[in-house]
Amino acid sequence: MKIHSLILGILAAGCVIGFTLTPRAGAVVNDEDFSSLKDLVTKQGRRIDQLEQTHEQDQKTHEQDQQQIQQLKQQLGETHAVATNATQKAEEVARVQSAYPVVSGAMSAMHNFTMVGDAEVQFGKAAGQHGSFVLADFAPIFLFRASDNVLFEAGFDVTLQNGSQPGGGSATHVDLSFAQLDYLFNDYVTVVAGDMVLPLGTYSERAAGWLNKIPDDPFSRDFLPGSGVGVQLRGAIPVGQSGQMVTYSVYGVNGPSSIDTNGIAGNLDLGGNVGDTGNWHANPSGGGRIGWFYPWQAHYDLELGVSGQTGVWDNAGRRSWSAGVLDAALHISPYFEAKGEYIYTMQETDDMGTIHPQGWWVQAGYKLAGLNLEIPRISNVELVSRYDTMHDALGTKTDRATVGFVYYISNTLLFEGDYEFLHSRGPNALPSNAFVLQLSYGL
Amino acid sequence: MKRLTSFKLGLREGVRLVAVTAVIYAAFIAFATGADTKAEDAKSADTKAADSKAADAKPAKKAGKKKLTGAELYAIHCNRCHAERYATEFTPGQWKTLMTHMRVRANLPAAQAKLILKYLQEDSGN
Repeated sequence: MKIHSLILGILAAGCVIGFTLTPRAGAVVNDEDFSSLKDLVTKQGRRIDQLEQTHEQDQKTHEQDQQQIQQLKQQLGETHAVATNATQKAEEVARVQSAYPVVSGAMSAMHNFTMVGDAEVQFGKAAGQHGSFVLADFAPIFLFRASDNVLFEAGFDVTLQNGSQPGGGSATHVDLSFAQLDYLFNDYVTVVAGDMVLPLGTYSERAAGWLNKIPDDPFSRDFLPGSGVGVQLRGAIPVGQSGQMVTYSVYGVNGPSSIDTNGIAGNLDLGGNVGDTGNWHANPSGGGRIGWFYPWQAHYDLELGVSGQTGVWDNAGRRSWSAGVLDAALHISPYFEAKGEYIYTMQETDDMGTIHPQGWWVQAGYKLAGLNLEIPRISNVELVSRYDTMHDALGTKTDRATVGFVYYISNTLLFEGDYEFLHSRGPNALPSNAFVLQLSYGL
Repeated sequence: MKRLTSFKLGLREGVRLVAVTAVIYAAFIAFATGADTKAEDAKSADTKAADSKAADAKPAKKAGKKKLTGAELYAIHCNRCHAERYATEFTPGQWKTLMTHMRVRANLPAAQAKLILKYLQEDSGN
């Protein structure tokens, strides 16, 4: 009985303590946790509201996208229908017009268009004169391939040159170097028509600034026309399979004329037989070249050629002008080359009988890369030299020795420099020694 | 009279020049043709190994002993007038136009020009 009473007493005491202490603890949790929980719930509610808004906007955007896709599908279908109709119509037209030739390998015009050429800036100084930038030249060649067999090509020369005006100053010139249509008739014959670079020797066909290793042209090239208006047949016949070939060119051009209609010696105009309507005289000139190229190994070759042109030059058609050119080029290794031409002309005149302006030039170059010095800047240098001479048959003789260099900044950008030792005598004697620097770029 | 004499002398010199040149040419062409014939005879007598791919891949010391590749023809014909132009400098279409131009300007045989074009187009730019 006592034990039960004791237990009941303890339980009663526990309950009293429990009821007394419990309300205090519950009051602490409710104040802190409830407020933080309330904040959390509030924030979550706001977040949910934002998400619902975003979702609604996405749904609207999606609906708009679906509408646009449907519209594009409709447009695509309409375009396809139009294209199909156009193709059918084009095929019908092609069937009707099949009598006309169709350009093979039809491509866009610009795809067949290419521009090459060269550009130069030149600085020169003659003895006893101030040095100056004497020349800026931009010489593009436009190529348009109309088909596999037809090419139209035209070369222009836009120059700004000092000393080309009486009394000093510079002048800008825009010249047409050539404009020709090439028709590849077959593997052995190409028909060329228009204003053509003439194959008298090889110099004029390989004389672009970045090809010619010396800035100036040989004097004796002045005895020959650079181009002529007419028709030409040319081609190459391979000999064996070693790269050897025989080349030929045959042409007829308007030819030379007289500046003053008569046959006075100094009046020869090499490309001038073009009158106000017809030509000044009725006799076109004819010419050609035959060449032989023999490579016995890559970079080891010999080329020989003989060429000439003949015709009359005065208006009366009584005085003839003829030219003959021998040309040669030799390569021994990738580093050494030598080439030259001998030019001989024969001009009948009213006042001096038959005169023979003539000259020759020989040029050599050696690339220092052949020394295997493994010095990059030195290996980019090519040493060049040339000797040229001319006799104009009017009393003036000129000899010139040239030494110089070519520095290959890249394969198409060249810095050239040379010094020219000039010895000229006669009524049209040229100025004294000079040096020339030139920057050339091949397009 | 003086003019006529001078003209005759010039004509005579010209004829002499043409005759000498023709003889030189005939001699050179005969020599060259003979050299090629010998080269082709030698090739036919060779074993098949001479025509192997390895032989094709390396430039021959004597160009006349085998059919040249586009790369070899490029080295023979193009570098003699200008510095090397890289295949990547032009597109295949541009190379076709350029090679048509060079075939005319440099008097290249048609078959050789085609091989050079193929070689350049293989590594051409875009």
